Amino acid sequence: MTAFFATEALEAEVLQPLVLALPKGRILKECGKLLARAGIVPAAALHDEDSRLLRFPTDDPMLDVVRVRPFDVATFVAFGAAQIGICGGDVLMEFDYPEIYAPLDLGIGGCRVSVAEPRGTVGIDDPSRWSRVRVATKYPNIARRHYAARGIHADVVHLNGAMELAPGLGIAQVIVDLVATGSTLAANGLVESEVIAPVTSRLIVNRTALKTQPEAMGAWIARFRKALA
Amino acid sequence: MTDDPPPNPALLPAGLRDLLPPDAETEASAVEALMDVFAAHGYQRVKPPLLEFEDGLLTGSGAAVADQIFRLMDPDTRRMMGLRADMTPQVARIATTRLGGDPRPLRLSYAGQCLRVSGGQLAPDRQVAQAGIELIGHDSPAADAEMVLVGAEALAAVGLRRLSFDLLLPSLVPALLDDAGVAPGRRRELAHALDRKDAASVSAHGGTLAGTLTDLLMAAGPADGALAALRAAKLPEAARAMAARLEAVVAAIRAVAPGLKLTVDPVEFRGLRYHTGVCMTVYAPGRHEELGRGGRYVCGESEPATGLTLYPDAVLRAAPARSARPRVYLPLAEAGHGAALRARGFATVAALADPPSADPPSADPPPADPPPAGHSHEAEARRLRCTHVFTGGLLAELTE
Repeated sequence: MTAFFATEALEAEVLQPLVLALPKGRILKECGKLLARAGIVPAAALHDEDSRLLRFPTDDPMLDVVRVRPFDVATFVAFGAAQIGICGGDVLMEFDYPEIYAPLDLGIGGCRVSVAEPRGTVGIDDPSRWSRVRVATKYPNIARRHYAARGIHADVVHLNGAMELAPGLGIAQVIVDLVATGSTLAANGLVESEVIAPVTSRLIVNRTALKTQPEAMGAWIARFRKALA
Repeated sequence: MTDDPPPNPALLPAGLRDLLPPDAETEASAVEALMDVFAAHGYQRVKPPLLEFEDGLLTGSGAAVADQIFRLMDPDTRRMMGLRADMTPQVARIATTRLGGDPRPLRLSYAGQCLRVSGGQLAPDRQVAQAGIELIGHDSPAADAEMVLVGAEALAAVGLRRLSFDLLLPSLVPALLDDAGVAPGRRRELAHALDRKDAASVSAHGGTLAGTLTDLLMAAGPADGALAALRAAKLPEAARAMAARLEAVVAAIRAVAPGLKLTVDPVEFRGLRYHTGVCMTVYAPGRHEELGRGGRYVCGESEPATGLTLYPDAVLRAAPARSARPRVYLPLAEAGHGAALRARGFATVAALADPPSADPPSADPPPADPPPAGHSHEAEARRLRCTHVFTGGLLAELTE
C-alpha cells in the first residue's frame, strides 16, 4: 500500500475554547468552591443571578462557561454545544444520553430520587397487586422504568413543579421527585415510601469531544479530579 | 364537526428527506470517490438487495441492529422479510455462500441505503447511506491496519484530511470479567457504568477488578499513553493477547501513515457486542458525529473477517463543500458546440426554443428597446441558474 498520509498532508488543528455548562440555582453555589480549587476563575457575573448574560469568559482563554437550567446541562453536553458540564445524577438517569460520559462523582448536591405517597395510603395499598399507577413527576422516564421493573405500568402526569400537590388534588396516586430533606413532603402530607436512587452531581463530558480532543479534555478531567482530592 | 387540515404534500415521515440539486449530485460523486479508492485497493463491488429474509440480516454482527429492522411478510413464502439496517451481514452472507469458493483473502466493497426504525438522538435520520469494505478470510494485524489505512485514504479523496481513528478492543472487558468470574447481574451494571465512563460506579460495582478497570477507563486517549497503560495493567492471558494485537495494529498503521491521529479506548464496546477483535470508529475533530465504524468479526460459522463502514451523509457534512458540475446555457444556434463542452466537463443546458427576447418572463416592465441577442441569452441562462452562457462561439462565466 502506498503511504498516502505524509505528515504535512494533515491540516493543523483549529483550537477553539471549550465550553463548560453549569446548572443555574442551588448547585451553582456549591460549584463555586470546586471551580476555585480546580483553578477556574469565571467572570464575576456568573454568580450574579440577575445577570442577563448566558455565556461567560474565564481567566483561561480556552475555557468559557455557560449557565443553563440543570436539565439543559445534559442536553448541551450530549449535543456537543458544551464539551464539559456539571449535572445531577437524576438528570443523567432521566435522559440516559449515550453521548455523555460521566467520569467523576463530584460529591456535591447530595439528595435522592424517591417515591412519595399520601400519609393516608402508606401500608394500606399494596403496590404488588397494582397493574398500573398514576404518577406525577418531572422524571417520566425514571418513573416508568422504576415501575416497569416491578411489572406495573406507570401513567405519567408530567409536571414541572409543585408535584407535592398532585396526590392531594387527586391527579396522581404517588409522586416521583427529588428529595433533599423531606420537609416539603412532610408539609404537604406526603411520606417518602421508596428511594429509587441516591443522587450527587457529576462531571460530564461529551463523548466525541473526549475522543477527538483527548489531551485537552483529559487535562480538564484531571484538574477536577485533583480538586476533589 | 372539526376536520384536521389536509397534510402538506411536502411533509415526509420523521427522519426522511429529499435530496435536491446540487446536493444529490455531490452526494453521488462523493460516494463514487470513496468507492474508487476502495476499488483501487482491490475491493470488488457487490450489490445485495434492499430487502431479504430477516434471518439473513440477523446473523453475526447483524444481531446488534435486530431492533432497528423494518419487517414485512413475504406474501409468496409467508416468511418474514426485513429491510436492511446494515449491509455488513449481507456482504458476509454473500462471502460465505455464493462467493464461498472464491480465493481468500476476499476483498469486497459495497455502497447503498439502509433503513432503521428510529433515528438516534444526534442524527434523527432513518435512512442512512453506507459505503464500506470487508476483508474476509484473514486474521492478522496487517488486515486490521488495512481497514484504517484504506478508510483514511478514501476520506482524503473527498477532502477530509483531519481525521481521528479511535481503536477499540470490545472483547477485552468481557475477557476480564470472565477471568474474574463476575456474576451476570453485576456484569450488566458494570457494563453500563463502563459504557458511560462512570468511574464512581465502576469502583462501586467493580469488586476485585475495580482498580484495573478504573486504570483502563482513565487510559482512553492518545494511542501511546493508552498502550502504555495496557502494558502496565494486570491482565489475564486472553486479554494480554488482545492488547498485544492492538499494539501490532498501531505499529502497522504508523509504518504507513505516521501522521494519522490514533486514539485508543480499551474499555469501549458500544454497539460492538458481536465484534471479536480490534475495532475502530472514525471521527473528524470538531464534528459531533461518527464518520464510520468497523472492526473484526466472525463471518459465517468461523471465518475471520474485518470491515469498515463509512457513513456518506456524515462524511459529506464534515467534508469541504464539493462543487457541482458547471452549467452552460446553450442557445439553439450553438447546439453544435454541446459535445465539446460536455467533453470538457460542463453540463449543457440546451435551449428548446429561442428565448422570448421582447417579452421577458419577469414582471418587470418590458425595456424600451429590444435587448441585443446576447443579453437575452444571458438573462435566460441566469433564469435557469446556469453558471455560464455560450454565445457567438464564446464561453462566458456569469458573474453576480
